[in-house]
Amino acid sequence: MNNQTLSLFQLCDSNFPTGAFSHSFGLETYIQNDLVHNAETFSNWLHVYLEEQLTYSDGLAARLVYDALDSGDYDRIWELDRLLTVQCLARETREGTHRMGVQMLKMAKKLYEAPMLAVYQECIKKNGAFGHPVIVFTIAGHFLKVDRDTTVLYYLYTSVINLVQNAVRAIPLGQTSGQQIIYSLQNNLIETVEKINLLDEEDLGVVSPGIELAQMQHERVHIRIFSS
Amino acid sequence: MSDWTGILELDAQKNQYGKTITKNVFFQGAFKVMRPVYHNRSNQPCYYLLNPGGGYLDGDTYRMRITVGEQAMVTLTTQSATKVYRTPTKHAYQEAEIFLQVGSHLQYLPDPLIAYKGASYYQKTIFRMDKGASLLYTDILTPGWSPDGEAFSYDSIRLKTEVYLENELIVFDHIHLNPHEKPMDSIGVMEGYTHLGSFLIVSEQSDVELEEKLVEVINDQSGKFKVGISQLAKAGLSIRVMANTTQLIERIFADCHSLVNKEWFGTEPNPLRKY
Repeated sequence: MNNQTLSLFQLCDSNFPTGAFSHSFGLETYIQNDLVHNAETFSNWLHVYLEEQLTYSDGLAARLVYDALDSGDYDRIWELDRLLTVQCLARETREGTHRMGVQMLKMAKKLYEAPMLAVYQECIKKNGAFGHPVIVFTIAGHFLKVDRDTTVLYYLYTSVINLVQNAVRAIPLGQTSGQQIIYSLQNNLIETVEKINLLDEEDLGVVSPGIELAQMQHERVHIRIFSS
Repeated sequence: MSDWTGILELDAQKNQYGKTITKNVFFQGAFKVMRPVYHNRSNQPCYYLLNPGGGYLDGDTYRMRITVGEQAMVTLTTQSATKVYRTPTKHAYQEAEIFLQVGSHLQYLPDPLIAYKGASYYQKTIFRMDKGASLLYTDILTPGWSPDGEAFSYDSIRLKTEVYLENELIVFDHIHLNPHEKPMDSIGVMEGYTHLGSFLIVSEQSDVELEEKLVEVINDQSGKFKVGISQLAKAGLSIRVMANTTQLIERIFADCHSLVNKEWFGTEPNPLRKY
């Protein structure tokens, strides 16, 4: 591992202050409805979240943003920022993701001297971009010259570990089973990157109906520890 | 002849007496619109789209362009369910581009989609709304039809919907169900339900208050279903329902529609009276 990879790795830390710990992205609805209640049911849910939700939205977007950075097609990045944001019909998840994006951008800007981060921030301030964590993360990965597949993989990894941490607290699960779930997902994460590489641009934003509905329902879950 | 299997163009505008009338209509091939019906002698025409062929076939392509003129009010529906038959070589495709000019109102309430065993269907629907325009759009996906009664025997359904308000993309919805590649009953996917309904309500008048009233309407419904409702990034709401019958989703949407109409226009929606 070189310094570059290590730098991007810092963004993957579940303690990196983006606010990810307060978002379950609909998982809490499943926990409240007792559909997710142990390591096995959580693991099933996480597989669908990774292989459906993340694959077609953030995962594919990471690939496309990376390519757009390579070719200098910045308008495509702002377009993806909007597509990803308005594609999320669940308000809490959309707003939570937005807050995480802005937060991550703020931190990342203090760490890396990536000019594109400043351009993105400017675009959010003035030109109606929203701010999305996957775009910030990919800009950082591209700037640090981490290759595309690794950048996508690390982004998926960080999304997954954040959800596992949250599941450990909320279900609750033992720390050991949390770590076992993360470990068992290694191959799935790598396969997901391969799958993302085979997708067409046209595949961007496919929703997983149950997950999306649970994200919408979360607004009306009575006792909640997460804000999405 | 064009390359399209069916083309339909329709422009409606409000006349000097406040009535919305057909300004322009053109159709060709296997796509047709009937003379509008003014239910209950209202000023709002209801147009029925129909597919004289009875359904979409292998490789069929349909294009629809509709313009609702300034301040005009239009209801657009289908005469019956959209059926997509087996498409062994190429998916059937429908694209619609719908313009809502300043202050206009459109309710686009097509019948459910029924994809047959071995069918693939791709639908792209784009709404371009000007200031003050309002839109109600519903869509219902059924588990399709197969000779042995098996649910989800179609190959693929892909629906893309985009809504632009004053040239700014405010909704992008992409549903892709491909039952051979993923188990439909899995957690996170259809979770044991068979029907998926979507209801988009777009208007600058839409607010949290309307959302709360809709929640009440939805909470009053009986039956087995799962529903989510949420504010769009801008100017509207979306409702998603999973259930096991078309009728249940239609009933929920009809009650929501009725509430929205009362809130916005002080009237009940006109019944569509198809049968």
